[in-house]
Amino acid sequence: MFELDRSQYPQKKADGTLDIDLTSGKYLKLWQGPQHPGITGNMAIELTVCGDEVVDATTHVGYLHRGFEKLMERRTFMQCFPIVCRICVPEPDFNEYCYAAAVEELAGLEIPELAHWIRTLILEMGRVNSYLMYLGGQAGAFGQGVIGQWTTYVRDLMLDRFEELTGARIYHMFIIPGGVRDNLPDGFAGRMEETLREIESVLADVDRVMFHNAVFKKRAVGVGVIDTAWLDSYGITGPNARAAGVAKDVRKDQPYLVYPELDFEAVTGKDSDIYTRADVRRRDLLLSLDLIRQILAKMPKTGAVMTKLPNVLHWKIPRGETYVRGECSRGEYGYYLVTDGSGYPRRVNVRGPSYTHSIALFERMVINANISDVAALLVSLHTYPPEIER
Amino acid sequence: MMEILANFFGAFLPEWMVTLLIILIKVVAIVLPLILLVAYATYAERKIIGFMQVRVGPNRVGFKGLLQPFADMFKLIFKEIVIPARSNRFLFLIAPLLAMGPAFAAWAVIPFSDGMVLADVNAGLLFLLALTSLGVYGVIIAGWASNSKYAQLSALRIGAQMVSYEIAMGFALVGVLMASGSLNLGDIVRAQSGSIFSWFVWPLFGLFLVYFISGVAETNRAPFDVAEGESEIVAGFHVEYSGMAFSIFFLAEYANMWLIAALTSLMFLGGWLSPFQGLTFLTDMPVLGRVFGDGIHWLLLKASFFMLLFFWFRATFPRYRYDQIMRLGWKILIPITLVWIFAEGLAIALGWKPWL
Repeated sequence: MFELDRSQYPQKKADGTLDIDLTSGKYLKLWQGPQHPGITGNMAIELTVCGDEVVDATTHVGYLHRGFEKLMERRTFMQCFPIVCRICVPEPDFNEYCYAAAVEELAGLEIPELAHWIRTLILEMGRVNSYLMYLGGQAGAFGQGVIGQWTTYVRDLMLDRFEELTGARIYHMFIIPGGVRDNLPDGFAGRMEETLREIESVLADVDRVMFHNAVFKKRAVGVGVIDTAWLDSYGITGPNARAAGVAKDVRKDQPYLVYPELDFEAVTGKDSDIYTRADVRRRDLLLSLDLIRQILAKMPKTGAVMTKLPNVLHWKIPRGETYVRGECSRGEYGYYLVTDGSGYPRRVNVRGPSYTHSIALFERMVINANISDVAALLVSLHTYPPEIER
Repeated sequence: MMEILANFFGAFLPEWMVTLLIILIKVVAIVLPLILLVAYATYAERKIIGFMQVRVGPNRVGFKGLLQPFADMFKLIFKEIVIPARSNRFLFLIAPLLAMGPAFAAWAVIPFSDGMVLADVNAGLLFLLALTSLGVYGVIIAGWASNSKYAQLSALRIGAQMVSYEIAMGFALVGVLMASGSLNLGDIVRAQSGSIFSWFVWPLFGLFLVYFISGVAETNRAPFDVAEGESEIVAGFHVEYSGMAFSIFFLAEYANMWLIAALTSLMFLGGWLSPFQGLTFLTDMPVLGRVFGDGIHWLLLKASFFMLLFFWFRATFPRYRYDQIMRLGWKILIPITLVWIFAEGLAIALGWKPWL
């Protein structure tokens, strides 16, 4: 379907594999990972290079497999909570929301209005955290360490806001079936506004030092282009698809929580290279800051945040199945939950964007890339190995 | 001072031994401060980059972390030197020495102040070009002897990069040589005396930029650090080195940085010459005149400024891709130097020397 220019590269054999003879001295097998500073986590990339260019690539995952989906089948619905948030470290709230929404849908629970608002607020805060980490990682993949330090600083401020809201910094476990644990603390909106201003001032610096840096442009513009024809066949969603000019955003396409009441447009780019993907994420981050402001301004101040739950130790949910989706910072996130009337989930399947992006798509787009760009390409897809494996 | 020492040793030693002893003392007097400068360059780098990255930098060992370089050094001394299996043991161990030797030997011809030079040779510039070219051997041999793919790739990259930038660097120095009419480094600096406007940086501004950029590439510092790009080939040629063998590479890199910084000051910024020369009301003051007048402190100050640029680049620049570095060197820097040299030669032939 997408044939490559392989004039000087290995020919395809009859069975579809590449004719690579490592003893010929023309090719070199180069492993990156599972311990490699350029890889964003525990995964390995097996590259076959011809000179400086990659001719074949295979990803090897499984170094971080913890069997969460299977573990959840032996936990009550409440006990799954410490598990789901550990699926994705930098943005755990999405797992909590999707799981909680799936459980609520099957159990037939209605959650209060205020809980919707607080959930949206937490999801947007998590998105900000995730994008900040991405910006640092993208610059770091090109050897520009300073961006990572700056964004880590403002992410720390956001973690402080998380701490006063939820009591935890990384794994919040705040969104639970039936609502959220608590209302906002006093003066939260004011302190959040200070944090948002600090993030915006740092982002202005990032814009100058990273996005207007001649060397960064040289490395990122025109590199790692995703063809719009690939979007459907590789299942590309989120900022990776939006950078190709397709306004795919679950927040707009299939609104959930209070997104219909918020005023925003999906951020899109044109060129679909590393630079555009980074730029789309930077603008999406600014959009998230705006959404947080809108949420804090529009949300009701008082009210119930939890509905009455049955005894969670003996909570049985009737037979049924559902699929809950949402837009996380990396793309479309989905939870497929099957219950069989017992106290445990029959099956939980997590559809994470990292898996689709970093296996098939990455193996495809790394072909003909320079080995210097491999790490940057992987980072530019914004994937997290803990989410690939679960 | 050297005469006093010579008289003292001459009383009980034969003459050839006195000469040798004096040279050895001079060598130690250059190398020891140099090693100290290298050690504190690492400290300064960590503090300055820390400041730019909103963190503190080393602050635990000694007052404000001032003993940190020594702590690092002792740690590295006591670490085991792991020699990889199936590597070439002899080449593996000799490579750090080949990298460090030229980096230190080049200081023999550097004039620190008027007449303050170990070897006042007339072909000093050629000696420097020869020695800085030798440094690439240590790195290539290290990459090859390590028996590692990452190290091998890095050695190939560094070999091509250093050889290419050597040319741009050499051409930039040709411009200096034409302007000063001498290969002796002391004479080059003396040719710039007069006032701050007789420094070569003004007439040779393009060559100055090319020289410093090539110097950054020559020492494999950011943004040209493809040889040790940590997100691509981990640490490059020294990925298999540990302990003292690694720290010698480290020492060589920073000694080379100081060398480039000192050379840029000598060739283009008047070396030990004071920027206030010609302003007699400043240089003739009783005590402050020593500060405003010429002296080694100006060389140190100018070299430190270029070291700051090295650190600044590292803090804020991403890394060029390898092919982009080669394109920059061959298609931009070398043509600039060629055009500049041609224009300069034309000016000299017409008897018009704006820098004099």
